[in-house]
Amino acid sequence: MDWDKFEMNPRVIAAIKKANITSIKDIFHLSGSDLQRLTKLSRTDVQYLLRTISSALRKNTVLTALQLFQNKAHNTSRGQKLSLGCPVLDGLLRGGIPLMGITEIAGESSAGKTQLGLQLCLSVQYPYKYGGLESGAVYICTEDVFPNKRLQQLIEQLPKLRSDVPSEVMQKIKFGNGIFVEHAADLDTFHDCITKRLSLLLSRGMVRLVIIDSIAALFRCEFSAMDSLLKAKYLQGFGAKLHRLSCRFQTPIICINQVTDAVDEREDVVWDAQSCPARTVIPALGITWSNQLLMRLMVCRTVHQAQIAGETSYSRSELRMLRIIFAPHLPQHLCYYTVNLEGVKGIRKISHNYEEM
Amino acid sequence: MEQRDVGTFPLAPAWRAKLAAAGFQTAQEVLEVGPCQLSKEIGISKEDALEILKVIKQERHSDGAKPSEEPETFRKCTALELLEKEQTQGFIITFCSALDDILGGGVQLTKITEICGVPGVGKTQLCMQLVVDVQIPECFGGLAGEAIFIDTEGSFMVDRVVDIAEACIHHCRLIAEMHPEEDHQIALETFSLENILSHIYYFRCHDYMELLAQIYLLPDFLSGHSKVQLIVIDGIAFPFRHDFEDLSLRTRLLNGLAQQLICIANDHTLAVVLTNQMTTRFEQSRSSLVPALGESWGHAATIRLILHWNNKQRLAVLYKSPSQKESTVPFCITSHGFRDVQLSHSNLIPAENEANPRKRPRIEQVEEQ
Repeated sequence: MDWDKFEMNPRVIAAIKKANITSIKDIFHLSGSDLQRLTKLSRTDVQYLLRTISSALRKNTVLTALQLFQNKAHNTSRGQKLSLGCPVLDGLLRGGIPLMGITEIAGESSAGKTQLGLQLCLSVQYPYKYGGLESGAVYICTEDVFPNKRLQQLIEQLPKLRSDVPSEVMQKIKFGNGIFVEHAADLDTFHDCITKRLSLLLSRGMVRLVIIDSIAALFRCEFSAMDSLLKAKYLQGFGAKLHRLSCRFQTPIICINQVTDAVDEREDVVWDAQSCPARTVIPALGITWSNQLLMRLMVCRTVHQAQIAGETSYSRSELRMLRIIFAPHLPQHLCYYTVNLEGVKGIRKISHNYEEM
Repeated sequence: MEQRDVGTFPLAPAWRAKLAAAGFQTAQEVLEVGPCQLSKEIGISKEDALEILKVIKQERHSDGAKPSEEPETFRKCTALELLEKEQTQGFIITFCSALDDILGGGVQLTKITEICGVPGVGKTQLCMQLVVDVQIPECFGGLAGEAIFIDTEGSFMVDRVVDIAEACIHHCRLIAEMHPEEDHQIALETFSLENILSHIYYFRCHDYMELLAQIYLLPDFLSGHSKVQLIVIDGIAFPFRHDFEDLSLRTRLLNGLAQQLICIANDHTLAVVLTNQMTTRFEQSRSSLVPALGESWGHAATIRLILHWNNKQRLAVLYKSPSQKESTVPFCITSHGFRDVQLSHSNLIPAENEANPRKRPRIEQVEEQ
């Protein structure tokens, strides 16, 4: 650490050097009185030292909420959200997925998690004007192989799904080339992937979306019940790394999660017994993982299909439900959707909220 | 006073001459350059440059209307004086009257309040509600203060603050309509969305080093923003829950942090609100949810509030408080913010609620939704 570049009294700088303190971290790790003892400086000098290095560390000054709000309104890239490619679902999420933070999509197998993930991989590539981020996506598979066939099908059907985007804009985008697929079957490969390759892709500006499908698969086999402490440590480490990447590059991180059957009545999960009868499931990985998340969405298949079936053209595809479990800016609403050939589509008319007050 | 001539400061004549020769005329100009640059420009040692800046800064402070702070002198006062002081301080209301009641009126100034809870139960919502509520004008029973929001998790959503602020303005407007007094109208004119948002100072801290640095810098910031009456740290646990091999170091840093926050809260008469995560603790065969960061952190906050779910109902438990008894109340989060639970029969609403006319319009408002 080059202490000379700090705007401090040379006497203080000399004292730090003499005390063999080599980094800002060391200074923060020492208590005030330890610092006084080590450097033989007075209390005021130590306070002055702490304040100087603090202001060097915190270069970015304060923002007011008004500035944040105005940035959001005027700037296209900041504060925007990533569209899901469907106006109904975007409406539910107030514009889409927030750019900073980890968003989880949890649900049983075949509930439509991967379909949502794939659709996001495509919609991120659109221009800002159409809800995208003008960049590619990384898709990290941890259990199955990447569903390439389905992706090609979705790309073919894109003009049908996104009729709002002019065809010349759509033709310009090479959708298949913008998706980088990574396979990481175990924790070490995954760790490697998010620390090295991911930050490389992000810093080159090639991607603005990370999808991890699924986070739970990594932990399913490797840990027995006894290793919960180690597991928690891994989860917190991954959470922190992903968080940092997300903030640094303003890139949304989508983690797809599995669910487990709820053994007992857990307090931290809200249940809507009517929509998922017979079984109650909770997202896997417990509270340690939940603490890492910005928002959690849950998807499931429903029994409502029968009531709708006769009515309109939804009859061919099953009705599914997307619920907001928590998000700092959203109420706990839900929305129904279908997955068909073109992709995921929300249904406006039967969406209602269930935490009515 | 920024325009004060350099020549009028009590500086050594040699320095004064050098400053003048280098073309420095006003105090402002000298203060704009850092000590390094100053020493280079006028050809003196860095020590001397720091000395000059110190003198000018000190003089500037004593010039101002505010008397220079005297934190070093030990204040002595009797318990009665303390009680009187505390009673005149006022509270930050939460807009959930049941929660205000168990807290003894709202979030207290000069104290640290910790809010613990599982993700999604409403910790951040309560924080966002408080940064708006602290700004309610005095004639509506508020503090007319400002707020600092230190965000470590990236969960501060400005859209949501806008919702809450608009609901709060609407609420005050309804009161003003019911009690058409002059000062209400005047207060409402300045209590606008833009004003509210511009008085929330937002800091984003990405790791514990940045958080510690920010806390060291707060006293300086507060002396420039004396109206701040609330500091929110959302959340305290996140930066301290990873990359810590040495847990005793973590405990030491957290205790130091808590100590500094108490000092800040006392010196500037403001409330500090922290949020904390929950973690699972295993005891023999069963597990339970407890606030994170360990036992010793439990002493850091004066008031500890735990939010949790019971079936579909959100509950707030006052877990630790020096003056109030332990109790549990339900609350809910509506599109307007943090609110009381509306019972289906309005006659079931507790009597103290009726006595408080400020709460009535909001109830009708929500029911219309």
